[in-house]
Amino acid sequence: MNRVLALYQKEILSYFRSPIAYFVVSVFLLGTAYFFLYNVFLTGSATMDGTFANMGMLLVTVSPVITMRLFASEYSGGTMELLTTLPLRNWQIVIGKFLGAVTILLLMMFGTAINLIPLYLYGNPETTTILSGYIGFALLGMACLAVGQLFSAFTQNQIVAALITVPVLLAFWTIGHLQSFQSSTTLHAIFGYVSFSLHFGDFISGLVRSEAVAFYLVVCAIALTLNTSYLQWRR
Amino acid sequence: MSAAIELKSVSKRYGPKTIIDDISFTVEQGEIVGFLGPNGAGKTTTMRMIAGFTTASSGTIKVAGHDMATENKQAAEKLGYLPEHPPLYDTLDVETYLRFVAKVKGVPSRSINSDLDRVVQSCRLEQVFTREIYKLSKGYRQRLGLAQALLGKPEVLLLDEPTAGLDPGQIHETREVIRSFGEQHAVLISTHILPEVTLICNRVAIINNGRLLAVDSPKGLQQASEETSRVTLQVSAPADALQQELMAIDGVLSVNVSDIDSGSDIVKAECQVETRDGIEAEIARITTARWGLHGLERLHPTLENVFLRYVGETSAEQEAV
Repeated sequence: MNRVLALYQKEILSYFRSPIAYFVVSVFLLGTAYFFLYNVFLTGSATMDGTFANMGMLLVTVSPVITMRLFASEYSGGTMELLTTLPLRNWQIVIGKFLGAVTILLLMMFGTAINLIPLYLYGNPETTTILSGYIGFALLGMACLAVGQLFSAFTQNQIVAALITVPVLLAFWTIGHLQSFQSSTTLHAIFGYVSFSLHFGDFISGLVRSEAVAFYLVVCAIALTLNTSYLQWRR
Repeated sequence: MSAAIELKSVSKRYGPKTIIDDISFTVEQGEIVGFLGPNGAGKTTTMRMIAGFTTASSGTIKVAGHDMATENKQAAEKLGYLPEHPPLYDTLDVETYLRFVAKVKGVPSRSINSDLDRVVQSCRLEQVFTREIYKLSKGYRQRLGLAQALLGKPEVLLLDEPTAGLDPGQIHETREVIRSFGEQHAVLISTHILPEVTLICNRVAIINNGRLLAVDSPKGLQQASEETSRVTLQVSAPADALQQELMAIDGVLSVNVSDIDSGSDIVKAECQVETRDGIEAEIARITTARWGLHGLERLHPTLENVFLRYVGETSAEQEAV
């Protein structure tokens, strides 16, 4: 575990000694603040519903920027040769890196809590709904990061890694909208089940469904397992 | 006790192409072995297989008694590896980088500081200890790469061209570090710098086109070479008479006499002789008794000649195929 922790610390340091973390966190917080002001003042209601929905969309587009460097920079910098020859198992490399990316996600998430101050000062929001929204956001974020990390392992070019991840995540995000065009009930169910946004919608409306929690965790598990297998296969 | 590094019939294939073809050799504890070959010979691929960065297509590789195919983590704990390009994180500083590597190598936290001091001192990194890696010169980058390999006092040290990019003073220091480390540990150094091998290695493995051509001590390779038994001399003498006289000497196997240029009576004779000492003195004594001797040389081959001969032979074989 100490070895995973050492890799995790290195990841966090790498994020904060390059402009990436500052850039992503700033863009995300500014975007969220804009959506928050827009939603609250437009509707006049003290809820985070609209803001959460926008945060989800924003997350899908910025999370590839967090993950693009995870493996691509190790390949291009020649440091993958160090990582794979140190006494680290492939899954330890994958988990160490994933935890680093999740930390940036949590930083972004906690940063948005500043929006709650005016909400609680001037309104009477439902705390449980807000909490479930944040749980959903964290799970959605973890799934996005796991998928992005997998694609980062496929290329040594960070831009290419991000460019592959964005459409894939957007597809997962928007696939739920195709439900209404399906006459087949099976396809209807599948499109609904794999949709990132539909599951997230449950959390926003205050429902922490075990099915939705399991869905995001399964996506993480599949992506991280594929990531580990791919590292093994590369050898 | 098993060898520190042991390769048995190791091959590496990418699709139909065979990069490494049936290589076997061992490196014992307390031994420094030079892995010698031209660019593209397969040195780096072999080093990467031993280090566990890539796997062998067939054959077995054991590091400190652990099979790299099944126990690569246990092997990695006993291995220090400097790849061809030092694997450095530019955004980190030297100290943070070395601490990261030490922790992942499993150096106990109470001895990390002393281990860092040891490698920083031996690789002369004191001046740049707190500096960011992207600001380091090429020489410092190379030495930092070596320092991370030395962390944790690994039983086995793999160094892929460790002195590349260093100035002559740094090269000397680095060789001393490797030499002192190699007294108790097993070291495999890949290089194409021949004097390096002669200076610090106990044995040499010559590789070309993915095939291992010879494994011996530098002296052994030189003695095995045909060059050791050659004597050349320049004499003012008729060619035929000289030829007869030289052939009559005990220990001279063949003589080839040729004119140096048409304007002088000096001829050049090349003799293949037995490898015993003092034969050149006998040739000199007999020739000077009748003619004027202008020069005599017993050819002592450099490792370079031996290397070029081996590499030349395989290249010729490849072309013939």
